[in-house]
Amino acid sequence: MEFLDPFKIAFDLLFSADPELLSIIKLSMTISISAVLCSLLVGLPIGAILVSVKFPGRQAVIIMSNTLLSMPPVVVGLFIYILVSQSGPLGWTGILYTPYAMAMAQTVLVLPISISLSRQVFETLNNEYDMLFVSLGKRRWERIKTLVFDARVALVTIALACFGRAISEVGAVIIVGGNIRHVSRVMTTTIALETSKGELGVAMALGIVLLTIALLVNVASQFISAHFKKAGLDV
Amino acid sequence: MRNDDNVIVSAIDVNFSTAGQQLLSDISLRIASGNITMVLGQNGAGKSLLLSALHGLIKPQRGIILGPPRQKQKMVFQKPILLRRSAREYFEFLCPGLDDLSIQTWFEKANLQPRMTTPVRQLSGGESQKLALIGALAGKPDLLFLDEPTAHLDFESTGFIESKIAAARKAETSIVMTSHNRAQAERLAEHVIFMENGKVIEVATAKIFFSSPQTKAAKTYLKHN
Repeated sequence: MEFLDPFKIAFDLLFSADPELLSIIKLSMTISISAVLCSLLVGLPIGAILVSVKFPGRQAVIIMSNTLLSMPPVVVGLFIYILVSQSGPLGWTGILYTPYAMAMAQTVLVLPISISLSRQVFETLNNEYDMLFVSLGKRRWERIKTLVFDARVALVTIALACFGRAISEVGAVIIVGGNIRHVSRVMTTTIALETSKGELGVAMALGIVLLTIALLVNVASQFISAHFKKAGLDV
Repeated sequence: MRNDDNVIVSAIDVNFSTAGQQLLSDISLRIASGNITMVLGQNGAGKSLLLSALHGLIKPQRGIILGPPRQKQKMVFQKPILLRRSAREYFEFLCPGLDDLSIQTWFEKANLQPRMTTPVRQLSGGESQKLALIGALAGKPDLLFLDEPTAHLDFESTGFIESKIAAARKAETSIVMTSHNRAQAERLAEHVIFMENGKVIEVATAKIFFSSPQTKAAKTYLKHN
C-alpha cells in the first residue's frame, strides 16, 4: 500500500457518503451531544452552588472535581462497566453495550470539566457582583439565577470544550459500548478497530471527520468569544 | 434598638480593621433624616468604608449600626457594578417590579431611552452612572448612599446627577454621600462629616463647616480643596 492510498480511500468514502460511515458519525454525535447536555445539566448547578453556598466539605468537592479532570478514561469505563454489568447496582437497566452506557461514560468523563470551568466562571462573576447582591439584598436563589444568566456566553464555550473532550474519547466507550457494529460503534472506536485490521482508509476518513469537528468547535468557540467580548457580555 | 424619628442611620462605637490595619476607629454618629450629609476627607480617610459599613456591605468587628431595612436603602457605587445584560434588563435588576411605562419614564428622564437595548457594559461612564442612579431612585428609598457619584464624569452627567440628588432630597430621601469636589459639596451638603485616618473628627452643618471649620485637619483640607 502506498503512503497516500489511505487518504484516497478516505476521501472516496467521504465523498460517496458511505451509509455505514455516516451512521457511525451520527451515533458519535448523538452520544457526545447527549453526554454534554447531561453533564451541563448536572455540572452547572453544582458549579453555581459551590460558589454561592458555603457548606462543610465544599473545598473537598472542589478538590475532587479538579482531581477528576485528569481521570483516565479507561478508569471511567471500568467504573461504568462495573456499575451497569449484570451483577452491578444498575445491571437491571440492561444498558451495557448500548449507546446509553456510552453516553453515561462520556457524561461522567466530562462532568468534572463542566463543574470546574463553570465554577471558575461563576466565581469570577460572583466576586464582581457580590457587593451589588448584598446591597440589593438578593437572596441565594436570585444570586444563582443571575450568575447562570450572566455566564451564558461563557457556558457556550464550556459546552464546546466538553463536546471536544467527549467526541474524541475512546477508552471508556470501547469498554462499555463493546464496539458492536451497527449498535455501539463510534468514530474513535472504529478508528482503533480498523487500524488494528490494517483498514487505514476507513480509519483515515473518520480521523478527517474528527479533526474537522475539532476545527469547527474551536472556530465556533473563538467566534462566540470574540463576538460577545465586543458586546461586553464576556466573563 | 431603633433610631429616633429624626435620625435615619446611626453608628455606635463602630470599629473595623483588616489585615491588622485599623480602618474605622470608634465611630459614633447620628445622621439626620431628610438631609444631604456629605462625608469629606482626604484619600484613604475611610469615607467609602464608612458608607459601606452604614449600608451593611461590611460587618464591623465592634459596634452597632442602626438604619432602615435593607429594601428601604440603596447605594450607588463610585464605579457601577455592571451586569452582562442590556441597560433595561440592568435597570429592572436594580429596581424589580416596575411597569413598562414607569421604566420608559425613568429612561426618558435620564435621556437614556435610545440606549435601552444596549448592553450596559457598552455605555459610557456617565451613562452607566446615570443608569445606576435612576435604578436606585426608582425604588424610592428612604436612605440613599452615593459614593463619589460624579467622579470622572463630564459636566452634563454631573449636572444630571446633581439635579436628581436635589430632587430626591425634596422627595424626603435621606442622602449620605462622599465627594472630592468641594464646589459640589458646598452646593449640595446640609451636614458634613469630616474624617481623618478612619476617625470622624468633625461633624457640623455645611454652613459652619465651610465657613469656620473647627479642627486643624479640616482647615488644611479646605485650604487645599
